[in-house]
Amino acid sequence: MTRVLITGGGSGLGQALAAQCRAQAGMSVCVVDIAPPADGASDWITHDMGDPANDSWSALSDTLAAKGPFDLVILNAGINATGRYEQVPVAAHLAVARVNLLGPMRLLHILLHKNLLTSGGRVVFISSLSVFTGYPGAASYAASKDGLACLARSLRKPLRKAGNIHVQLVCPGPMDTPHATRHAPEGARADRRIDPAKVARMILAQPGRRFLLVPGAGARMAAAAGRAFPQTMTRIMGKVLFRKLT
Amino acid sequence: MKAKLIFVTGGASGLGLELVRAARRNGHRVICTGRRGAQDLPVDFPDIPYLSCDLASEDGAHMAADWALQHSVGQIGCALLNAADGYFRPMTLETPDAITRVLSVNLEANMILAHRLYPALGGGHLALIGSVAHKGAAGMPVYAASKAALDGFGRALAEEWRGRTYVRVLHPGPTATGMAERAGRRPNAADKLFLAPRPMAQAVLDAALATTGRDRQVISYGRVLFSPARWRRKGAA
Repeated sequence: MTRVLITGGGSGLGQALAAQCRAQAGMSVCVVDIAPPADGASDWITHDMGDPANDSWSALSDTLAAKGPFDLVILNAGINATGRYEQVPVAAHLAVARVNLLGPMRLLHILLHKNLLTSGGRVVFISSLSVFTGYPGAASYAASKDGLACLARSLRKPLRKAGNIHVQLVCPGPMDTPHATRHAPEGARADRRIDPAKVARMILAQPGRRFLLVPGAGARMAAAAGRAFPQTMTRIMGKVLFRKLT
Repeated sequence: MKAKLIFVTGGASGLGLELVRAARRNGHRVICTGRRGAQDLPVDFPDIPYLSCDLASEDGAHMAADWALQHSVGQIGCALLNAADGYFRPMTLETPDAITRVLSVNLEANMILAHRLYPALGGGHLALIGSVAHKGAAGMPVYAASKAALDGFGRALAEEWRGRTYVRVLHPGPTATGMAERAGRRPNAADKLFLAPRPMAQAVLDAALATTGRDRQVISYGRVLFSPARWRRKGAA
Protein backbone atom coordinates (compact mmCIF):
# COMPACT_ATOMS: atom_id res chain seq x y z
CA MET A 1 0.00 0.00 0.00
CA THR A 2 1.40 3.38 -1.02
CA ARG A 3 0.46 6.07 1.46
CA VAL A 4 0.09 9.53 -0.03
CA LEU A 5 -0.13 12.86 1.79
CA ILE A 6 -1.39 15.87 -0.20
CA THR A 7 -1.66 19.38 1.19
CA GLY A 8 -4.33 21.57 -0.37
CA GLY A 9 -6.06 18.43 -1.66
CA GLY A 10 -9.48 20.07 -1.56
CA SER A 11 -9.34 21.98 -4.83
CA GLY A 12 -7.43 22.60 -8.03
CA LEU A 13 -4.30 20.57 -8.69
CA GLY A 14 -4.44 19.00 -5.21
CA GLN A 15 -7.96 17.74 -5.85
CA ALA A 16 -6.90 16.28 -9.20
CA LEU A 17 -3.92 14.57 -7.56
CA ALA A 18 -6.07 13.15 -4.75
CA ALA A 19 -8.73 11.92 -7.20
CA GLN A 20 -6.15 10.13 -9.35
CA CYS A 21 -4.50 8.54 -6.33
CA ARG A 22 -7.85 7.33 -5.02
CA ALA A 23 -8.64 5.81 -8.39
CA GLN A 24 -5.45 3.76 -8.35
CA ALA A 25 -5.39 0.41 -6.61
CA GLY A 26 -2.89 0.14 -3.80
CA MET A 27 -2.84 3.82 -2.91
CA SER A 28 -4.32 5.41 0.17
CA VAL A 29 -4.67 9.16 0.29
CA CYS A 30 -4.59 11.54 3.21
CA VAL A 31 -5.55 15.13 2.42
CA VAL A 32 -4.61 18.20 4.44
CA ASP A 33 -6.82 21.16 3.61
CA ILE A 34 -8.09 24.32 5.23
CA ALA A 35 -11.62 23.45 4.13
CA PRO A 36 -13.61 20.65 5.79
CA PRO A 37 -13.92 17.42 3.74
CA ALA A 38 -16.13 17.36 0.69
CA ASP A 39 -18.78 14.63 0.87
CA GLY A 40 -17.52 11.13 0.73
CA ALA A 41 -13.88 11.99 1.36
CA SER A 42 -12.32 10.01 4.18
CA ASP A 43 -8.83 10.45 5.64
CA TRP A 44 -9.02 14.22 5.69
CA ILE A 45 -7.16 16.52 8.08
CA THR A 46 -8.57 20.02 8.36
CA HIS A 47 -5.62 22.29 9.00
CA ASP A 48 -4.58 25.80 8.00
CA MET A 49 -1.02 25.62 6.59
CA GLY A 50 -0.63 29.31 7.41
CA ASP A 51 -1.67 28.96 11.05
CA PRO A 52 1.01 30.60 13.22
CA ALA A 53 -0.19 28.87 16.44
CA ASN A 54 2.01 26.05 17.68
CA ASP A 55 -1.03 24.18 19.10
CA SER A 56 -2.55 23.45 15.72
CA TRP A 57 0.80 22.15 14.46
CA SER A 58 1.24 19.83 17.46
CA ALA A 59 -2.23 18.46 16.80
CA LEU A 60 -1.32 17.95 13.13
CA SER A 61 1.90 16.27 14.18
CA ASP A 62 0.02 13.74 16.35
CA THR A 63 -2.52 13.03 13.61
CA LEU A 64 0.21 12.48 11.02
CA ALA A 65 2.14 10.17 13.35
CA ALA A 66 -0.98 8.03 13.63
CA LYS A 67 -1.59 7.95 9.85
CA GLY A 68 1.98 7.74 8.54
CA PRO A 69 4.62 6.94 7.51
CA PHE A 70 4.12 8.26 3.97
CA ASP A 71 5.63 7.07 0.70
CA LEU A 72 4.63 10.14 -1.27
CA VAL A 73 4.20 13.64 0.13
CA ILE A 74 2.97 16.39 -2.18
CA LEU A 75 3.38 19.93 -0.81
CA ASN A 76 0.76 21.53 -2.98
CA ALA A 77 -1.27 23.95 -0.82
CA GLY A 78 -0.92 27.52 -1.99
CA ILE A 79 -2.68 30.86 -2.09
CA ASN A 80 -2.03 34.07 -3.99
CA ALA A 81 -2.52 37.82 -3.55
CA THR A 82 -2.42 39.79 -6.81
CA GLY A 83 -2.31 43.49 -7.57
CA ARG A 84 0.08 46.38 -7.02
CA TYR A 85 2.17 45.33 -4.02
CA GLU A 86 1.51 48.46 -1.97
CA GLN A 87 -2.23 48.39 -2.67
CA VAL A 88 -2.83 44.83 -1.41
CA PRO A 89 -3.18 44.75 2.40
CA VAL A 90 0.07 43.59 3.99
CA ALA A 91 -1.82 40.93 5.97
CA ALA A 92 -2.75 39.23 2.67
CA HIS A 93 0.93 39.19 1.61
CA LEU A 94 1.99 37.72 4.94
CA ALA A 95 -0.69 35.03 4.67
CA VAL A 96 0.72 34.05 1.26
CA ALA A 97 4.25 33.75 2.69
CA ARG A 98 2.99 31.66 5.60
CA VAL A 99 0.72 29.26 3.70
CA ASN A 100 3.08 28.75 0.76
CA LEU A 101 6.46 28.68 2.50
CA LEU A 102 6.39 28.59 6.30
CA GLY A 103 3.69 25.89 6.31
CA PRO A 104 5.60 23.45 4.07
CA MET A 105 8.76 24.03 6.15
CA ARG A 106 6.93 23.26 9.36
CA LEU A 107 5.23 20.21 7.86
CA LEU A 108 8.55 18.88 6.53
CA HIS A 109 10.13 19.46 9.90
CA ILE A 110 7.42 17.30 11.51
CA LEU A 111 7.79 14.55 8.89
CA LEU A 112 11.58 14.44 9.27
CA HIS A 113 11.59 14.84 13.02
CA LYS A 114 9.05 12.07 13.56
CA ASN A 115 10.52 9.87 10.86
CA LEU A 116 7.31 9.82 8.83
CA LEU A 117 8.90 9.49 5.38
CA THR A 118 9.52 5.94 4.17
CA SER A 119 12.84 4.99 2.65
CA GLY A 120 12.60 5.07 -1.13
CA GLY A 121 9.68 7.49 -0.93
CA ARG A 122 9.42 10.93 -2.45
CA VAL A 123 8.56 14.47 -1.56
CA VAL A 124 7.13 16.68 -4.31
CA PHE A 125 7.27 20.45 -4.00
CA ILE A 126 4.65 22.29 -6.06
CA SER A 127 6.31 25.61 -6.84
CA SER A 128 5.59 27.79 -9.86
CA LEU A 129 6.84 28.82 -13.27
CA SER A 130 7.41 32.22 -11.60
CA VAL A 131 10.70 30.80 -10.30
CA PHE A 132 12.02 31.18 -13.85
CA THR A 133 10.06 34.18 -15.08
CA GLY A 134 9.46 36.37 -12.03
CA TYR A 135 5.90 37.45 -11.22
CA PRO A 136 5.33 41.21 -10.95
CA GLY A 137 1.85 41.76 -9.59
CA ALA A 138 2.22 38.91 -7.11
CA ALA A 139 5.42 39.77 -5.24
CA SER A 140 4.58 37.78 -2.10
CA TYR A 141 3.54 34.75 -4.15
CA ALA A 142 6.73 34.92 -6.22
CA ALA A 143 8.72 35.17 -2.98
CA SER A 144 7.06 32.13 -1.45
CA LYS A 145 7.48 29.98 -4.57
CA ASP A 146 11.15 30.94 -4.98
CA GLY A 147 11.66 30.00 -1.33
CA LEU A 148 9.93 26.68 -1.84
CA ALA A 149 12.01 25.85 -4.92
CA CYS A 150 15.19 26.73 -3.03
CA LEU A 151 14.07 24.48 -0.17
CA ALA A 152 13.66 21.59 -2.61
CA ARG A 153 17.13 22.25 -4.05
CA SER A 154 18.68 22.43 -0.58
CA LEU A 155 17.02 19.24 0.70
CA ARG A 156 17.59 17.16 -2.41
CA LYS A 157 20.96 15.71 -1.44
CA PRO A 158 20.52 15.46 2.37
CA LEU A 159 17.22 13.54 2.02
CA ARG A 160 18.66 11.26 -0.61
CA LYS A 161 21.58 10.45 1.63
CA ALA A 162 19.66 10.19 4.89
CA GLY A 163 16.80 7.96 3.83
CA ASN A 164 16.91 7.42 0.08
CA ILE A 165 14.07 9.91 -0.21
CA HIS A 166 13.63 11.52 -3.62
CA VAL A 167 12.89 15.21 -3.82
CA GLN A 168 11.10 16.64 -6.84
CA LEU A 169 10.35 20.19 -7.86
CA VAL A 170 7.32 20.95 -10.02
CA CYS A 171 6.99 24.40 -11.60
CA PRO A 172 3.63 24.61 -13.36
CA GLY A 173 2.53 27.60 -15.39
CA PRO A 174 -1.07 28.80 -15.21
CA MET A 175 -3.52 25.92 -14.77
CA ASP A 176 -7.25 25.82 -15.36
CA THR A 177 -8.04 25.86 -11.62
CA PRO A 178 -10.29 28.06 -9.46
CA HIS A 179 -7.10 29.54 -7.99
CA ALA A 180 -5.62 30.57 -11.34
CA THR A 181 -8.95 31.88 -12.61
CA ARG A 182 -9.25 34.10 -9.54
CA HIS A 183 -5.84 35.64 -10.10
CA ALA A 184 -5.59 35.82 -13.90
CA PRO A 185 -5.98 39.24 -15.54
CA GLU A 186 -9.44 40.05 -16.91
CA GLY A 187 -10.12 38.64 -20.33
CA ALA A 188 -7.42 35.93 -20.05
CA ARG A 189 -8.38 32.79 -21.93
CA ALA A 190 -8.96 29.75 -19.73
CA ASP A 191 -8.46 27.35 -22.64
CA ARG A 192 -4.82 28.43 -22.91
CA ARG A 193 -4.19 27.21 -19.36
CA ILE A 194 -3.11 23.64 -18.74
CA ASP A 195 -5.60 21.12 -17.33
CA PRO A 196 -4.69 20.27 -13.70
CA ALA A 197 -5.62 16.61 -14.31
CA LYS A 198 -2.89 16.48 -16.96
CA VAL A 199 -0.33 17.98 -14.57
CA ALA A 200 -1.42 15.55 -11.86
CA ARG A 201 -0.92 12.62 -14.25
CA MET A 202 2.59 13.86 -15.10
CA ILE A 203 3.49 14.19 -11.43
CA LEU A 204 2.19 10.76 -10.45
CA ALA A 205 3.69 9.02 -13.49
CA GLN A 206 7.12 10.71 -13.12
CA PRO A 207 9.36 8.39 -15.08
CA GLY A 208 12.98 8.18 -14.03
CA ARG A 209 12.30 10.48 -11.10
CA ARG A 210 13.69 13.61 -12.64
CA PHE A 211 14.27 16.44 -10.15
CA LEU A 212 12.61 19.25 -12.08
CA LEU A 213 9.26 18.99 -13.83
CA VAL A 214 7.89 21.92 -15.84
CA PRO A 215 4.62 20.64 -17.27
CA GLY A 216 3.64 21.63 -20.80
CA ALA A 217 5.59 22.84 -23.84
CA GLY A 218 4.60 26.49 -23.40
CA ALA A 219 5.73 26.54 -19.77
CA ARG A 220 9.00 24.81 -20.69
CA MET A 221 9.70 27.46 -23.31
CA ALA A 222 8.98 30.25 -20.84
CA ALA A 223 11.25 28.59 -18.27
CA ALA A 224 14.08 28.28 -20.78
CA ALA A 225 13.70 31.93 -21.79
CA GLY A 226 13.64 32.97 -18.12
CA ARG A 227 16.79 31.00 -17.44
CA ALA A 228 18.65 32.57 -20.34
CA PHE A 229 17.34 36.13 -19.88
CA PRO A 230 15.95 36.45 -16.35
CA GLN A 231 15.47 40.21 -16.24
CA THR A 232 14.14 40.52 -19.80
CA MET A 233 11.59 37.80 -19.00
CA THR A 234 10.46 39.61 -15.83
CA ARG A 235 10.09 42.83 -17.83
CA ILE A 236 7.95 40.98 -20.36
CA MET A 237 5.86 39.60 -17.46
CA GLY A 238 5.49 43.19 -16.29
CA LYS A 239 4.19 44.27 -19.68
CA VAL A 240 1.88 41.37 -20.46
CA LEU A 241 0.64 40.60 -16.94
CA PHE A 242 1.23 43.29 -14.32
CA ARG A 243 -0.20 46.16 -16.42
CA LYS A 244 -3.37 44.13 -16.99
CA LEU A 245 -3.72 43.22 -13.32
CA THR A 246 -3.59 46.82 -12.17
CA MET B 1 26.75 62.61 -5.05
CA LYS B 2 23.93 64.34 -3.16
CA ALA B 3 23.77 63.40 0.52
CA LYS B 4 20.81 61.13 1.18
CA LEU B 5 18.95 59.86 4.20
CA ILE B 6 19.84 56.20 4.50
CA PHE B 7 17.82 53.80 6.64
CA VAL B 8 19.61 50.58 7.61
CA THR B 9 18.09 47.59 9.45
CA GLY B 10 20.34 45.28 11.43
CA GLY B 11 22.94 48.02 11.78
CA ALA B 12 24.26 47.10 15.23
CA SER B 13 26.73 44.50 14.00
CA GLY B 14 28.06 42.59 11.01
CA LEU B 15 27.59 43.85 7.48
CA GLY B 16 24.86 46.25 8.66
CA LEU B 17 27.29 48.10 10.91
CA GLU B 18 29.77 48.30 8.04
CA LEU B 19 27.01 49.65 5.79
CA VAL B 20 26.28 52.33 8.39
CA ARG B 21 29.96 53.26 8.50
CA ALA B 22 30.34 53.26 4.72
CA ALA B 23 27.28 55.47 4.27
CA ARG B 24 28.58 57.91 6.90
CA ARG B 25 32.02 57.96 5.25
CA ASN B 26 30.34 58.84 1.97
CA GLY B 27 28.65 61.81 3.58
CA HIS B 28 25.09 60.48 3.95
CA ARG B 29 22.75 60.93 6.90
CA VAL B 30 22.14 57.53 8.46
CA ILE B 31 19.48 56.16 10.80
CA CYS B 32 19.43 52.52 11.79
CA THR B 33 17.73 49.77 13.75
CA GLY B 34 19.26 46.78 15.46
CA ARG B 35 18.31 44.01 17.82
CA ARG B 36 20.78 45.10 20.50
CA GLY B 37 19.85 47.46 23.26
CA ALA B 38 21.40 50.93 22.85
CA GLN B 39 23.67 50.21 25.85
CA ASP B 40 25.11 47.10 24.14
CA LEU B 41 26.30 48.85 20.99
CA PRO B 42 30.03 48.77 20.17
CA VAL B 43 31.96 51.60 21.85
CA ASP B 44 32.89 53.16 18.53
CA PHE B 45 29.30 53.07 17.22
CA PRO B 46 28.61 56.32 15.34
CA ASP B 47 26.43 58.99 16.88
CA ILE B 48 23.27 58.45 14.82
CA PRO B 49 19.59 57.86 15.60
CA TYR B 50 19.25 54.21 16.65
CA LEU B 51 16.14 52.14 17.34
CA SER B 52 16.44 48.92 19.28
CA CYS B 53 13.78 46.52 17.99
CA ASP B 54 13.35 42.87 17.11
CA LEU B 55 12.03 42.43 13.57
CA ALA B 56 10.87 38.88 14.32
CA SER B 57 7.43 40.17 15.30
CA GLU B 58 4.99 42.07 13.11
CA ASP B 59 4.82 44.72 15.81
CA GLY B 60 8.59 45.11 15.69
CA ALA B 61 8.55 45.62 11.91
CA HIS B 62 5.73 48.18 12.15
CA MET B 63 7.57 49.96 14.97
CA ALA B 64 10.68 50.18 12.78
CA ALA B 65 8.57 51.54 9.89
CA ASP B 66 6.88 54.17 12.09
CA TRP B 67 10.24 55.23 13.46
CA ALA B 68 11.90 55.46 10.04
CA LEU B 69 9.02 57.48 8.57
CA GLN B 70 9.11 59.85 11.52
CA HIS B 71 12.89 60.38 11.40
CA SER B 72 12.98 60.80 7.63
CA VAL B 73 10.05 63.22 7.50
CA GLY B 74 8.56 61.17 4.71
CA GLN B 75 11.55 61.08 2.37
CA ILE B 76 13.96 58.15 2.48
CA GLY B 77 16.82 58.29 -0.03
CA CYS B 78 17.71 54.65 0.43
CA ALA B 79 16.43 51.82 2.62
CA LEU B 80 19.01 49.09 3.14
CA LEU B 81 17.00 46.17 4.52
CA ASN B 82 19.86 44.12 5.83
CA ALA B 83 18.68 42.55 9.12
CA ALA B 84 18.70 38.76 9.01
CA ASP B 85 18.86 35.71 11.20
CA GLY B 86 19.72 32.10 10.47
CA TYR B 87 21.39 28.89 11.52
CA PHE B 88 23.93 26.73 9.81
CA ARG B 89 22.28 23.37 10.39
CA PRO B 90 20.24 20.72 8.56
CA MET B 91 16.42 20.61 8.61
CA THR B 92 16.35 17.76 11.14
CA LEU B 93 18.12 19.93 13.72
CA GLU B 94 15.83 22.91 13.20
CA THR B 95 13.06 23.84 15.61
CA PRO B 96 9.62 25.18 14.65
CA ASP B 97 10.26 28.41 16.56
CA ALA B 98 13.60 28.99 14.83
CA ILE B 99 12.11 28.31 11.38
CA THR B 100 9.32 30.80 12.09
CA ARG B 101 11.79 33.36 13.40
CA VAL B 102 14.16 33.15 10.42
CA LEU B 103 11.32 33.58 7.93
CA SER B 104 9.86 36.45 9.98
CA VAL B 105 13.09 38.43 10.12
CA ASN B 106 14.50 37.60 6.70
CA LEU B 107 11.29 37.81 4.67
CA GLU B 108 8.15 38.98 6.46
CA ALA B 109 9.72 42.02 8.18
CA ASN B 110 11.10 43.16 4.82
CA MET B 111 7.69 42.68 3.20
CA ILE B 112 6.12 44.83 5.93
CA LEU B 113 8.85 47.49 5.69
CA ALA B 114 8.62 47.71 1.88
CA HIS B 115 4.85 48.05 2.16
CA ARG B 116 5.00 50.72 4.85
CA LEU B 117 7.95 52.70 3.46
CA TYR B 118 6.54 52.85 -0.10
CA PRO B 119 5.21 56.43 0.24
CA ALA B 120 8.63 57.68 1.42
CA LEU B 121 10.63 55.86 -1.25
CA GLY B 122 9.48 57.86 -4.29
CA GLY B 123 12.61 58.69 -6.30
CA GLY B 124 14.64 56.70 -3.79
CA HIS B 125 16.31 53.31 -3.54
CA LEU B 126 15.27 50.09 -1.84
CA ALA B 127 18.00 47.49 -1.40
CA LEU B 128 17.22 44.05 -0.06
CA ILE B 129 20.31 42.29 1.24
CA GLY B 130 20.19 38.63 0.22
CA SER B 131 22.89 35.99 0.21
CA VAL B 132 24.73 33.86 -2.33
CA ALA B 133 23.02 30.96 -0.49
CA HIS B 134 19.77 31.88 -2.28
CA LYS B 135 20.53 29.30 -4.98
CA GLY B 136 20.16 26.52 -2.40
CA ALA B 137 22.42 25.25 0.38
CA ALA B 138 22.21 21.80 1.98
CA GLY B 139 23.89 23.05 5.17
CA MET B 140 21.36 25.82 5.82
CA PRO B 141 18.09 25.06 4.01
CA VAL B 142 15.86 27.44 5.98
CA TYR B 143 18.20 30.43 5.69
CA ALA B 144 18.77 29.73 1.99
CA ALA B 145 15.02 29.49 1.33
CA SER B 146 14.38 32.75 3.16
CA LYS B 147 16.97 34.50 0.98
CA ALA B 148 15.61 32.90 -2.21
CA ALA B 149 12.19 34.20 -1.21
CA LEU B 150 13.65 37.67 -0.72
CA ASP B 151 15.17 37.38 -4.20
CA GLY B 152 11.82 36.50 -5.78
CA PHE B 153 10.15 39.28 -3.82
CA GLY B 154 12.63 41.92 -4.97
CA ARG B 155 12.54 40.62 -8.53
CA ALA B 156 8.79 41.24 -8.73
CA LEU B 157 8.88 44.49 -6.80
CA ALA B 158 11.69 45.94 -8.97
CA GLU B 159 9.46 45.54 -12.01
CA GLU B 160 6.36 46.87 -10.25
CA TRP B 161 8.11 49.97 -8.93
CA ARG B 162 10.31 50.62 -11.98
CA GLY B 163 10.42 54.31 -12.82
CA ARG B 164 9.53 55.32 -9.28
CA THR B 165 11.88 53.55 -6.89
CA TYR B 166 15.08 51.68 -7.68
CA VAL B 167 14.63 48.23 -6.15
CA ARG B 168 17.70 46.00 -5.91
CA VAL B 169 18.36 42.58 -4.43
CA LEU B 170 22.03 42.41 -3.54
CA HIS B 171 23.54 39.04 -2.68
CA PRO B 172 26.84 39.40 -0.80
CA GLY B 173 29.38 36.60 -1.04
CA PRO B 174 31.13 35.19 2.05
CA THR B 175 32.21 38.08 4.26
CA ALA B 176 34.28 37.98 7.46
CA THR B 177 31.64 39.53 9.72
CA GLY B 178 31.53 36.61 12.14
CA MET B 179 27.98 35.78 10.99
CA ALA B 180 28.89 32.26 9.93
CA GLU B 181 30.28 31.45 13.39
CA ARG B 182 27.29 32.98 15.16
CA ALA B 183 25.06 30.86 12.93
CA GLY B 184 26.81 27.72 14.15
CA ARG B 185 29.24 27.03 11.33
CA ARG B 186 32.57 25.70 12.53
CA PRO B 187 35.49 27.87 11.38
CA ASN B 188 37.72 26.20 8.80
CA ALA B 189 40.42 26.99 6.26
CA ALA B 190 37.87 28.63 3.91
CA ASP B 191 37.50 31.50 6.38
CA LYS B 192 40.83 32.92 5.21
CA LEU B 193 39.22 33.51 1.82
CA PHE B 194 36.25 35.43 3.20
CA LEU B 195 36.01 39.00 1.98
CA ALA B 196 36.77 41.94 4.26
CA PRO B 197 33.59 43.61 5.56
CA ARG B 198 34.61 47.16 4.78
CA PRO B 199 35.12 46.91 0.99
CA MET B 200 32.11 44.58 0.84
CA ALA B 201 29.92 47.20 2.52
CA GLN B 202 31.21 49.86 0.12
CA ALA B 203 30.47 47.65 -2.90
CA VAL B 204 26.96 46.89 -1.58
CA LEU B 205 26.28 50.57 -0.91
CA ASP B 206 27.54 51.58 -4.38
CA ALA B 207 25.26 48.97 -5.99
CA ALA B 208 22.30 50.07 -3.83
CA LEU B 209 22.67 53.72 -4.82
CA ALA B 210 23.45 53.14 -8.49
CA THR B 211 20.79 54.18 -10.99
CA THR B 212 22.00 51.61 -13.51
CA GLY B 213 22.71 47.90 -13.22
CA ARG B 214 20.61 44.78 -12.90
CA ASP B 215 17.77 44.40 -10.43
CA ARG B 216 19.41 41.39 -8.80
CA GLN B 217 23.17 41.28 -8.33
CA VAL B 218 25.71 39.04 -6.68
CA ILE B 219 28.30 41.16 -4.87
CA SER B 220 31.23 38.84 -4.37
CA TYR B 221 34.94 38.51 -5.10
CA GLY B 222 34.87 40.08 -8.57
CA ARG B 223 32.86 43.12 -7.55
CA VAL B 224 34.59 43.70 -4.20
CA LEU B 225 38.21 43.12 -5.18
CA PHE B 226 38.05 44.86 -8.55
CA SER B 227 35.58 47.65 -7.96
CA PRO B 228 36.74 50.86 -9.70
CA ALA B 229 35.40 52.85 -6.74
CA ARG B 230 37.77 50.99 -4.45
CA TRP B 231 40.82 51.99 -6.46
CA ARG B 232 39.60 55.53 -6.81
CA ARG B 233 39.25 55.91 -3.05
CA LYS B 234 42.63 54.32 -2.46
CA GLY B 235 44.23 56.80 -4.82
CA ALA B 236 42.53 59.69 -3.06
CA ALA B 237 43.54 58.57 0.43
